[in-house]
Amino acid sequence: MIGPMEIMIGITALAALFSTAATYLAITEKDLVKAVIYSAIQSTIYAFIYYMLMAPDIVLVYIPVAVGLYPAVILVLIRKTERWEKD
Amino acid sequence: MDTATYFLYILISSMVMNLALALYGVFYKPHLTKKIISLTILGDTANTFALIIGYRLWPGETTPSRPPVLVGWTHLNKTMLQQYVSSAVDPLPQALVLTAVVIGLAVTLFLVFLALQIYRHYGTLDVREIRKLRG
Repeated sequence: MIGPMEIMIGITALAALFSTAATYLAITEKDLVKAVIYSAIQSTIYAFIYYMLMAPDIVLVYIPVAVGLYPAVILVLIRKTERWEKD
Repeated sequence: MDTATYFLYILISSMVMNLALALYGVFYKPHLTKKIISLTILGDTANTFALIIGYRLWPGETTPSRPPVLVGWTHLNKTMLQQYVSSAVDPLPQALVLTAVVIGLAVTLFLVFLALQIYRHYGTLDVREIRKLRG
């Protein structure tokens, strides 16, 4: 039967499936700027999963670090180096 | 198998899939920036596994599990403490993950500056070309 607990964990599992799609796109993308954006999407979904797993303190640290700082630093690196990944 | 366990298995399987994809990115992608992106995904997935270990299902049909935060501790009594112990998730993996997130940030910053110096030295970030240039 489907109760509130099953609905909550079902939403978490659905978010995890979306994060797998975002990870696949981030790994296979040749344009590194797009790869960083897919990685940020995956981090946002992970923050939602952490919230659903009853860890709100980790969400407070994880959102600025993984959605803000990681993409910013890697975008600076891409700007100073190369944007395209060769085959 | 009940529905909640089934959904939990879906969650764990997609995390295993993410781990495999991130390992593939770290080992087989030739570009160093892509390796760094894959490494952040790998670390986050490992942190998620730690949180899944600490998670507990709802103790009752209508009583949800709750974050490990003890509110109202100034006038604490036995029933409040029993309720907390029977419904809160494990706080130890969360403390470890909190530390691991910050350490991962420091390691990623170090790797980014290492990659920048490699680019300034060799003029490329492709590991196949860097290997040819060696010696």
